[in-house]
Amino acid sequence: MNKYAIFLGCTVPVRAQHYELSARNVAKVIGIDLVEIPGASCCGFPLKAVDAETALLVAARNISLASRLNLDVVTLCNSCTAMLSDAQAQLENEEFRHRFKQVGLSYPNDVKVRHFVRMLYEDLGIESIRKAVKKPLNALKIMPHYGCHYMRPSSLYGFDNAEVPHTLDELVRVTGAESLNYNDKKMCCGGSVLGIDEALAITMANHKLLAAKENGADAIVTICPFCTVMYEDNQRKAEARFQKQYGIPVMYYPQLLGLSLGLDANAVGLRFNRIKLDSIMEKLAVKE
Amino acid sequence: MIDLRKSDPQFKWEIIKKEGGEGLLKCFGCSDCAASCPVRYFDERYNPRKIIRLTLLGMKDAVLKSPFLWFCAHCHACTERCPQGIRVAELINAIKNYAVEQGYCPDGYKMQLDLLMKMGRLYEVEDFDLKKRQRLGLPPIDKTIPEVARILKATNILKVLEK
Repeated sequence: MNKYAIFLGCTVPVRAQHYELSARNVAKVIGIDLVEIPGASCCGFPLKAVDAETALLVAARNISLASRLNLDVVTLCNSCTAMLSDAQAQLENEEFRHRFKQVGLSYPNDVKVRHFVRMLYEDLGIESIRKAVKKPLNALKIMPHYGCHYMRPSSLYGFDNAEVPHTLDELVRVTGAESLNYNDKKMCCGGSVLGIDEALAITMANHKLLAAKENGADAIVTICPFCTVMYEDNQRKAEARFQKQYGIPVMYYPQLLGLSLGLDANAVGLRFNRIKLDSIMEKLAVKE
Repeated sequence: MIDLRKSDPQFKWEIIKKEGGEGLLKCFGCSDCAASCPVRYFDERYNPRKIIRLTLLGMKDAVLKSPFLWFCAHCHACTERCPQGIRVAELINAIKNYAVEQGYCPDGYKMQLDLLMKMGRLYEVEDFDLKKRQRLGLPPIDKTIPEVARILKATNILKVLEK
């Protein structure tokens, strides 16, 4: 059985339990063991704009905790992935290691940090997932949203393609759903500027909501709680601001995958999605 | 209007010293960053090239006092495309870090720092959340992680809250 340490961060365990629940249940079904990291904190990303070095130290402490478990780390949030990966890279640097020890932290062993979805793609692979799919979601048109820190900066990740990403599309297609090809796929959700200028953030989110509507998407699929805040929690604000009616459900990828693996609506926490998924459930029921 | 009489020749060296600022001098102003920027796509008041240019010219006040510096979403679209290999998003972040040192920190960031100081996490974990987690079969989580406050006290970051 593959075993990983799971890093939850701040948002997922409190505001997006359905994401966590679906990821854990998907892991169970496909034979992946997820182990808690005792003492894990915020990844450090919210401090980066204030002081990058402090943010890196907080991130490196989390890596240090995970390394005691001798397990590679998987994360559910794109920003956590970026922050921890950045700290991991910085720990190669003598000066940073010194600073790390100076604040009383112990140097961690090498651990690999990856997004949960990247781990699915790399370690499990599309073909293994295909074999595990029990209920292909053939009726669904899904708009995959990667988010920025899943594959950028490429110098840090060396994964997927920063200009033309494809791994999430493949992971959507393997569930049987259609993965929509659309313009500006790499567009940022706007989440990082929400606290600075709400109108700008909503305008950025609207760009993709509009594309989802125009392309007839049944749902937007995300892999980051920040992106979901922008597309789901703020969808009403985008509708009001731009005089549109969207009503587009937003799902986390493990929820979609879980359904195709035969998990029921409760096991992937569908009742916690703020925009109701009735249309999707109807389509799937017809096909069953 | 840029008034070079107000230029501070030290400004760029201060930025270069910061984490992420190392690439500043390599910028030749091609605007690839601005052309790739999703924020600028919607709001032309934000322009990474302009911020970098003003920094190179030493226009410290114009850079630090501008609210638009904070519009960078740190999405790394620019980093991917810079022909000079500058980590542009990290460079803008270095300028943000310097602005904070000089007393220009948006309230939102101060609030986040305060929360991390108190709890080690951004969202309060209430009993309601713990019960919900239990009901869903999710493992318990710590309400607070005091170790984070210890790290914050060991760096200079808390000075921000005094400004």
